[in-house]
Amino acid sequence: MSTRDLVLVALFAAIIVALGLIPPVSLGFIPVPVHAQSLGVMLAGVVLGAKRGTLAVALFMLLAAIGLPVLSGGRGGLGVFMAPPSGYLYGYLAAAFVTGYISERFVTPRQTGLVQGSVFFVAALAGGVLTCHLLGVLWLAFVTGLGLQAAFLGTLAFIPGDALKALIAAFAGRAVMVGYPLLPQRA
Amino acid sequence: MNTLYLDGQSLLHRLSTKPKLGGLAVFSVFLFAASHPLALGVSALVAALAYASTGIGWKPGLARLRPAFITIAAVTLFALLFQPPIEALVILFRLTALMLAAAAITATTSIGAFIDTITWAATPLERFGLVRAADIGLSVGLVIRFVPEVTLRYRSIRDAHQARGLKVRPVTLIVPLIIQTLKNADEIAAAIDARGIR
Repeated sequence: MSTRDLVLVALFAAIIVALGLIPPVSLGFIPVPVHAQSLGVMLAGVVLGAKRGTLAVALFMLLAAIGLPVLSGGRGGLGVFMAPPSGYLYGYLAAAFVTGYISERFVTPRQTGLVQGSVFFVAALAGGVLTCHLLGVLWLAFVTGLGLQAAFLGTLAFIPGDALKALIAAFAGRAVMVGYPLLPQRA
Repeated sequence: MNTLYLDGQSLLHRLSTKPKLGGLAVFSVFLFAASHPLALGVSALVAALAYASTGIGWKPGLARLRPAFITIAAVTLFALLFQPPIEALVILFRLTALMLAAAAITATTSIGAFIDTITWAATPLERFGLVRAADIGLSVGLVIRFVPEVTLRYRSIRDAHQARGLKVRPVTLIVPLIIQTLKNADEIAAAIDARGIR
């Protein structure tokens, strides 16, 4: 990995941290406050691709693990990896990989904006919503012993907000692709 | 950036990082293997004593764990609805013990000690050419250095919106934030290479 890629990974991890410091926005029609941090995870995949995106999220999680309060709401420390909702945190890692993989596999600079945007949206949905929630639910169900059905009910409230974030990630991914494309030059 | 490390001289502070992390791993395996409420209750008590021994004090100690306790309470209530009460008690003790033990390690291990241990653990991976162990510490340092910068940039983009009477929308905020930040990457990489840090 080149020094430039290392710096890109570190800068993106810093962006994910900064997005967690922004106060959550209530979107009115969704009852749950929307945190920008999982948006940062989708963006990492969409902007940097599978390898660098996953590394950026891994670095972000490492910062949390060693006791820096980088998770939204100023949380951090080893405890956040062993709590009932920790599955979503592990899900971030898989989410960045899936989003990044689909993005770099199917998006090329020559496609029209609509095609690029749609592929980014599908990628962010598959990674940031499907994969992340799947791991979150499995962890919640088996680690806490709640059972799959109850855990699934608990996750439903967050799906609309996360789908909206996937849409934002798609728009932003397309705009970054136009302004400063990093996806085609793979790590 | 503030850290969750707490200066002190307790037994856990003096213990080196490797046995602490190893101990935490063994403890968590034990917690998931055990299913008797009494054993788990004693474990939670031991973990609470360990956390108290860091000298953190009641108020800051509880303030730090508040979000964790809220989720544990929510899960326990949920379990009470769907499962027999003894199961809910097992869940409550197990999760509380985990949380307290992890918080005790976090409060007594400095960022530097963690990075040293991670670098040490990554050295075998280096032999396979998977990762350069020294890169991990460098990356962590870079992130800590650039978080204030990104936050500042976020504020100035927000102010620029407001100065022009525009509503702050996620897309118009995030796109310039990403592009401006990542455009610095070339300069920073050149600076790192020029100084022979890597």
